[in-house]
Amino acid sequence: MPSRSVEFTSRSQRLIIFSLIAIGLGFLIVVQLRSEAAVARTLAAQDDTSVALLINDLNRANNQLMQQSAALAEQQTQLHQALTSGGADSQAISKELTTLREVNGTVAVHGPGLEIRIQGPVMDFELQDAFNNLRNAGAEAISLNGYRIVASTPVVSRGDSLMVAGHALGTTLDILVIGDAEQLGPAADLSASSLQTRVQVSIQRQNDLSITAVVTPHPLIYAQLGK
Amino acid sequence: MTVLASVSLATFLVAGLAATQFRSQPLPPSNRVARDEALRKSVNQLEDQNRLLKTRVQTLQADVKAGEDESARRSSAAQEVKAQLDEQKTFAGQTALHGPGLTVLLHDGTDPNSPVDHSLGWTVHYQDLQDIVNVLWASGAEAIAVNGQRIVPSTAFHYAGVNILVNNASRLSGPYTLIALGDPPALANGVGNPDQLAELKSRNRIYGLGLSWLRSTRLSVASYDATFLVKFAQPLS
Repeated sequence: MPSRSVEFTSRSQRLIIFSLIAIGLGFLIVVQLRSEAAVARTLAAQDDTSVALLINDLNRANNQLMQQSAALAEQQTQLHQALTSGGADSQAISKELTTLREVNGTVAVHGPGLEIRIQGPVMDFELQDAFNNLRNAGAEAISLNGYRIVASTPVVSRGDSLMVAGHALGTTLDILVIGDAEQLGPAADLSASSLQTRVQVSIQRQNDLSITAVVTPHPLIYAQLGK
Repeated sequence: MTVLASVSLATFLVAGLAATQFRSQPLPPSNRVARDEALRKSVNQLEDQNRLLKTRVQTLQADVKAGEDESARRSSAAQEVKAQLDEQKTFAGQTALHGPGLTVLLHDGTDPNSPVDHSLGWTVHYQDLQDIVNVLWASGAEAIAVNGQRIVPSTAFHYAGVNILVNNASRLSGPYTLIALGDPPALANGVGNPDQLAELKSRNRIYGLGLSWLRSTRLSVASYDATFLVKFAQPLS
């Protein structure tokens, strides 16, 4: 009987030791995996400047979205009021139509903005960058040497020539851009700073400039409505 | 003996793990970590708010559209304006579209870890996306989306630090999928033209940066997930 008791005690002790070791190992493995993931996240994490810039952009975008919501809510109320009174408000629809025509470049527009003159040869990507920077700064209408520029306007270099929407341009480029000059100014300066080592760039603020050029959207041939 | 061997093996494993654990501790364990966490939390909160606001905008857009449809049913004048509005909405990317086209795939290459090459040519930059989009428009694309984000008249690609942003601060991350609707052979010829995207193709060879494209008979692009505000431009009467 005593030998069985000793054997039982010995087995129990071994079991406890192994259990403790297993628990310890399990704990360490979990901690190890979690800390490796944390390290990976830390490595993948962005520098403070990147995160701060992202926060700035998100704040700006969210403000824009709030303004869009307010405008849509107002439009909704206007339409609803007309419908409730038994009529139909074509003015609310016309207002939206005008906005979209301005956005699509299918109507002549005027407003405050910048007049940018570039004298000298530039490459297609430099001009694309400039338009991209201006759009990012809230440009509402852009023209180049009398051609309306919209997001789908291709800008390509063909040899030494710069082609915009299939038209060859000379070495003097006149860009008109309508929008908030306070926002557009720094964007134009940014593009100018990278060009000014080779070409002459002048930027002038204008209280009211006109863009009379319009684009005619191509009818859809391949794309169809719906998902 | 068996117990001793087991204990020795376990001790060895525990020591090994403890050592690895010690090595993998994030450094430095100071309040910088807390500051980073706070910044990341702010980004998460703002991105959540961004998603909610977009949902709100889409809901309002649907309500407005319902009101416009009803107005068009009631009045011939409203019906006429509504038809023009629908056309402009399609041009502005406010309508989902489908059709044949091209899918362009783009992803980072391999960091050469070279002491003489600090160009970051192995990574995809926002200008690369901008260049491909430009080539697709030039090749007759009728609609384009990048990682599901529709390219619309107000679209601009830009950096916020290392992040590529587009359309109301939507963060894009690789791999990048560009979908263009249009004539598949024309779009493929445009992207495949050796004179186009030459720099990108050169980085594809040097760094293994992924650039491929595939023709399809049916692709779809979602509509723009927000709307447009025009504050400064006025129509010339």
